[in-house]
Amino acid sequence: MKKLPLLVLLVFGLSIYGFAQNRLIKGKVTDDQGKALAGASVNIKNTTTSTTTDSAGNFQLPLTAHGKPVLVVTFVGYISTEYAIGGGSFFSVQLKNNTQSLNDVIVVGYGTQKKKDVTGAISIVNSDVIEQRPIVRVEQALQGTAPGVAVQSVSGNPGAPLSVRVRGTNSITGSNEPLYVIDGYVGGSIQTISPSDVESLEILKDASAAAIYGSRGSNGVVLITTKSGHEGSPKIGVDAWIQKAEVAKELDLMDAYDFANTVNIQNAVTGIPPAFTATQLDGFKTNKGTDWQKALQVKPLVQNYEVSVSGGSRNTKYFFSFDYLNQPGLIVNQYYKRATLRANLDFKINDKLDLKFYVVTAIPTSRNTNTDLHTTYGGDTGDPFAVATDWDPTTPVRDPVTGQYNLTSPYGADNVNPVAQASSQLVDVNSLDAIGTGVLTYRILPNLTFTSSNSYESQYGWIRQLFGLNTSTTVINGITNGMISASSIWNTNLQSSNFLTYNLNFGEHAINLTGLYEYQSQINQNFAAQSTNLSTYALGYYNLGVGLTQAVNSGYSASELQSFMGRINYSYKEKYLLTASIRDDGSSRLTKKYSTFPSVAVGWLISKEKFMANSKVFSSLKLRGSYGETGNQGVPPYSSIPVINTSNVGYYFDGTSLAISTPLGPPVSTDLVWETTLQANVGVDAAFLNNRLSISIDAYNKKISNLLFSYQTPAYLGGGSYQRNIGSLQNRGIELGISGSPIAPNPGGFNWNTFFEISFNDNKVLNLNGLDNIIISGIGQPQANISILKVGKSLGEFTGYKFLGTWKTSEATEAAKYGSKPGDAKFLDVDNNGTINENDYVPIGNGIPKSTWGFINDFNYKNFTLSIMFTGQEGSQIYSQTIAYTWGQAPGVRNATNSDATKMWTPQNETDIPAFSTTGSPNGGFPTNTSRFVYDADFIKLKNLSLTYSIPQSVLGRAKIRSVDVYVSGQNLFTITKYPGYDPELTNAQTAQTQGVEMGVIPNPRTYTFGLRVGF
Amino acid sequence: MKILIPLLFLVLIAFLGCSKLEEDPKATLTPGSYFKTQQDLDAAVAAIYQGLVIDGAYAFDFHLYSFFGSDDLTADPNLSKGDQRSFDELNGSSGNGSIAHSQWGTPWAAIYQSNNVIQNYNKVTGDQVTINGSAGQAYFIRGWSYYMLVRTFGPVPVITTQVPADYRPARDSVSTVYATIISDLQTAISLLPTSFPGAPGKATQNAARSLLADVYLNMATWPLNQTGSYALAAAEADSVIQSGQYTLVPDYATVFTTNNNSESIFGLEFNVPGGNPDRFFGDCSMPWEEYGLDGNFGWEEFYPEINFYKAAPVCKRTDEEFYTTLKLIQPDKSFLLVPYNSPKTRNQHPFYRKFRTGVLNNGPIGCEETDSILFQMNPSTNMTNDVMRYPEVLLDYAEASDMAGSGPTAAGYAAINTVRARAGEQPLTPGLSQIAFRDSVVYERTYEFAAEWGIRWFDIVRLQLLPQVVAARSPLENPISLGGNDIQTRYYCPIPINEMLKNPQWTQNPGY
Repeated sequence: MKKLPLLVLLVFGLSIYGFAQNRLIKGKVTDDQGKALAGASVNIKNTTTSTTTDSAGNFQLPLTAHGKPVLVVTFVGYISTEYAIGGGSFFSVQLKNNTQSLNDVIVVGYGTQKKKDVTGAISIVNSDVIEQRPIVRVEQALQGTAPGVAVQSVSGNPGAPLSVRVRGTNSITGSNEPLYVIDGYVGGSIQTISPSDVESLEILKDASAAAIYGSRGSNGVVLITTKSGHEGSPKIGVDAWIQKAEVAKELDLMDAYDFANTVNIQNAVTGIPPAFTATQLDGFKTNKGTDWQKALQVKPLVQNYEVSVSGGSRNTKYFFSFDYLNQPGLIVNQYYKRATLRANLDFKINDKLDLKFYVVTAIPTSRNTNTDLHTTYGGDTGDPFAVATDWDPTTPVRDPVTGQYNLTSPYGADNVNPVAQASSQLVDVNSLDAIGTGVLTYRILPNLTFTSSNSYESQYGWIRQLFGLNTSTTVINGITNGMISASSIWNTNLQSSNFLTYNLNFGEHAINLTGLYEYQSQINQNFAAQSTNLSTYALGYYNLGVGLTQAVNSGYSASELQSFMGRINYSYKEKYLLTASIRDDGSSRLTKKYSTFPSVAVGWLISKEKFMANSKVFSSLKLRGSYGETGNQGVPPYSSIPVINTSNVGYYFDGTSLAISTPLGPPVSTDLVWETTLQANVGVDAAFLNNRLSISIDAYNKKISNLLFSYQTPAYLGGGSYQRNIGSLQNRGIELGISGSPIAPNPGGFNWNTFFEISFNDNKVLNLNGLDNIIISGIGQPQANISILKVGKSLGEFTGYKFLGTWKTSEATEAAKYGSKPGDAKFLDVDNNGTINENDYVPIGNGIPKSTWGFINDFNYKNFTLSIMFTGQEGSQIYSQTIAYTWGQAPGVRNATNSDATKMWTPQNETDIPAFSTTGSPNGGFPTNTSRFVYDADFIKLKNLSLTYSIPQSVLGRAKIRSVDVYVSGQNLFTITKYPGYDPELTNAQTAQTQGVEMGVIPNPRTYTFGLRVGF
Repeated sequence: MKILIPLLFLVLIAFLGCSKLEEDPKATLTPGSYFKTQQDLDAAVAAIYQGLVIDGAYAFDFHLYSFFGSDDLTADPNLSKGDQRSFDELNGSSGNGSIAHSQWGTPWAAIYQSNNVIQNYNKVTGDQVTINGSAGQAYFIRGWSYYMLVRTFGPVPVITTQVPADYRPARDSVSTVYATIISDLQTAISLLPTSFPGAPGKATQNAARSLLADVYLNMATWPLNQTGSYALAAAEADSVIQSGQYTLVPDYATVFTTNNNSESIFGLEFNVPGGNPDRFFGDCSMPWEEYGLDGNFGWEEFYPEINFYKAAPVCKRTDEEFYTTLKLIQPDKSFLLVPYNSPKTRNQHPFYRKFRTGVLNNGPIGCEETDSILFQMNPSTNMTNDVMRYPEVLLDYAEASDMAGSGPTAAGYAAINTVRARAGEQPLTPGLSQIAFRDSVVYERTYEFAAEWGIRWFDIVRLQLLPQVVAARSPLENPISLGGNDIQTRYYCPIPINEMLKNPQWTQNPGY
């Protein structure tokens, strides 16, 4: 009985305690700036009691638990926080933003690391930044948001890839795009990712961070982590936006009257009777003729819809999303559409075993555009967009009597009517890209984990083309009755990454070891069939059997990569940090199979030192330094095997029957190796004023050796090209990122967050193994000979004649020495020998920017958020062949369309615009590779301006809606630039050598967007 | 389990790690697996020819550009014809992209492919006569290609085997190159049959002899001036004449509308639907201002100089060769007929008639017209482009036999008069001196072969006629622009700039 009172007391006490717990607790969840967090998940630890916050951040929960209940609040992008409930009934929970926390864990490749322990140069872009703009490709999210990453929207074609350069241009002919690693899948294709599925992007910039990807890390690595589900009831997100797009700027071209007048002037100069009579000219005064730019362009409506469902229990979490994009182009008969379906599943099987699955299917469909799979309208003189700038304005689009297209004109460009061409040709690309990744994590011991990440990608492409009536194929080239074709591409890629991670802590030492084995194999197969000389157009491109002449071919290539990697992360007293790694990559593509890529990095958290402990200025301060080696695997398969080419084209010894021809390919290098990059990096990360201001600065020096070059042999070796290592180049640069709150955080009131990043890069070709001054025959059909590879200069260098205006009447004698007369173009005679020829080429510009920057400001007041983003570049030039061709003296264009042609030199008005002439040197006074067509490409763009209104909970009321955001935004609203062409960001460069060369590229649209984000 | 996982890891490495990383290009032919059968050899020989007929090679008029200093070729002063116009003005440059592709690149590509056949044909097992026939064509094309190169560019390296990628030879002397050409053509003569039934596009023994005759004739004149070669030229040409294999087509105009006719010795074959269109006939040489009822118009790539036309003999051939009344379409779709020198034409120049039509009754017609209506025109035809016609052998013989001895022979007179008779001209005045006869032959060649393969230009080069050709130029032509350079330097074309950069051991031809 002695025990009874105690027992009674206990039962009574418990019942009181239990009674006390049967109550309602309420609270509000905000971020560290006081902004309500809708959809945060709130639960009582170790129970099933949970809820989520409403759009005002409020929650309430019945409390029935026994013991000492603990409230757990979690939210994506924020640090989970636990509160002992005790006797309280109202909880004001403030969650700290994950990204601002140095304790935050970031993805570093084959594992994660605490941000404070990171020694490499890594930039991070999170989903909140991505969501601020209506973007259609993931690369756009990197533009202006990550120091050291220069992103250019080089084409306005719908679905076109962007140019991404991490710390400069590293390769002459190889790819300069970074390596994308999507949820552990190395080399994934970025077009499979819907931007709204991205949780975070981590850009590994220095050798230490990237060397773990060895032979593929030279151009930097972008780690893409997609969203996953979180514990809690299902959350549905709907994100929809529509966008009106338009060409922001037109070229200033002549109307029909000025054009016709100019043609007559040109004829008079060359001694030909006038093309247009006075009566016709009078007619053009009232009828201004055809504005071909306007006739070809449209203002499309772009639409994007995304629905996602996520949630889960403690052991199972899910994230499903579906995204649909419909993006018509800026000219007629052009579109890109894409559906993306994603399922990310996490299973916690038991304490030791986790399984994760990522399944994504992307289904892009496009017409007449330039995508990852197929290039149409890549920028050439014959592209309708280019032709529209030099076609005859005196001819209507259609014959007013017959209603048929006017296909050709004796004036202006000799191409086909651009509207007819664009409306009639079909290049339809369908593809299906499916990627599955499964990740198994097994914790063998508390500190030893085995991870196996396995991916398989299958990409299937189906391309059909029709070049029939009203296209240059039939009208100009005269291929009898047009061409239809169908081709398919099937690429498969298998990857298996297996690694062990071991953690060891003793005393003040912390060691983390990783050992990796990875295998990857890639197979590309293709099949193509083409029919010409069609008996009918009735079947479109659906039946190649109607062609009298048919051709087929197919191909196969495969490659393998086998790798071993080891890494150690060591930290002493959480102040002194060391990371070292070594990767050995074996490739089937090279004669010497294996190459080794080592790296080392150190870090010092100065702010942890005693003498800094009480610093009022620094919240944290870290110094970093690294050195290491990475590679660029720009060697295509079979580059070290001489080949005999096979094609459908043969010879007809009797004029009718085909004899198959198998020409010997070019000779090959016998000692081909990868490009290797040695990179040194020093950096400082500092945070001030209680983390209100943070600054990150990095300086680097990269030397790339064994540069791969698709070297065109001398003609006596067959004139083909082969892969060859030819020299080295250097990238040096400084990059800076600053973020902060200019005014003190003011929960519920006015807040201002700002971010600025700028990257300076200096590129220089160091040597080319004895070669020099390699002139690249250039882009497109015209072979402008504008680009040059020159030791001591940056890639993207322009060469040509320096334009000095016109010969004036007073200089007639001097002009005559050059076979010129007053009014003719005057060029610099470098060697002063009385002729203008190749010896007078001088550097006339460079297409690679010296610096790029982004500046983002977010203003938040109550439910309104205003976001302004500027981007810019400085220090590069653009060579506009588009503009050169509006002067009408280049191949394929007969008359000028440029409005400035009305201001040509005359004896009365001696301007610097050369008059039409039959004399002049070189090339009749009209070479295109001259500084006359090189322009400054500096610009400042208002990339994005958006205003978002979050509908308050009081309005949403009882509707079961978590949150509603409504926004309007504009992209590329204005551009400040001296460039007279469409858009200084454009280039149709195929490689780094021809960077900055532009011909007929469709510009980036100016867009107006209305969007809605709803959370249920 | 704790031990199992690392074990599994090791097993994985062992299992996957056995990859030898070797390449197996399943869809690609490699030299190791090639040159086993006659089929392999045939395809390698076809590759030599195929490279000749692509557009940037010999399928358009690019192969004539460095010859524009001649009087049979000139270009519009205003249109985008700078690549040919600069040579017309004797102001050609090493930056000329068309020259780099066609006149420099094409023969080298053919030599490269020929070397592939010559080095490997012995590996093939089969009928030796057939194998020899294949090899003989490679020798023929290699010899012909060096002949085009040495006359156009002067000294070039002689490469007769397969060489590694970093091979950078010196330029060999003109006489060394000629020695290689003679050796190749003599080998070709020994290997080739007299004909390939059903394959008229293949070079034959007499094609090699005909070419060799022309080579000897050139060696007898500038720059080698080895007059002893006249006799060799006469002998080779005579053996072709004596073979009786070739006869002149009765009508000059028909030569240019029929394929593989009785006077065709060697020509390039074309096939439009097969992707090998001949774009030299049709639109190419037609006036810019001529439009067909189908809306197509001329490309005006080249036309003769005015005084060149005016100096032509008055005969049927001249009428068939030149086009002097332009048909200008009117708004009512009728045609206004204007003489070439009318101010209504753009350039007051005559054009060529012989290249307008292309082959008849065999695929697309270059130009379908009557004297007053231009129905339609077309840039692409199946017309065979004759590199060597029998009249060239006859005239080579006439000149060589004259210059080899002490003056014209009866056989020499017979040869030139055969050509003159077909042209609708009277027989040549008998009893001419050696030089007067030679000049008559050269005059005959000028109008028999105008705008064909640089025959006129190479006559100007080997006989050093440029000053008098320039002097005869009408003031209406494009102005000569020597830029202070000696006219003597214009007999050679500059080596393309990109090629000079790849071969720093070379020196550019003087004057460029």
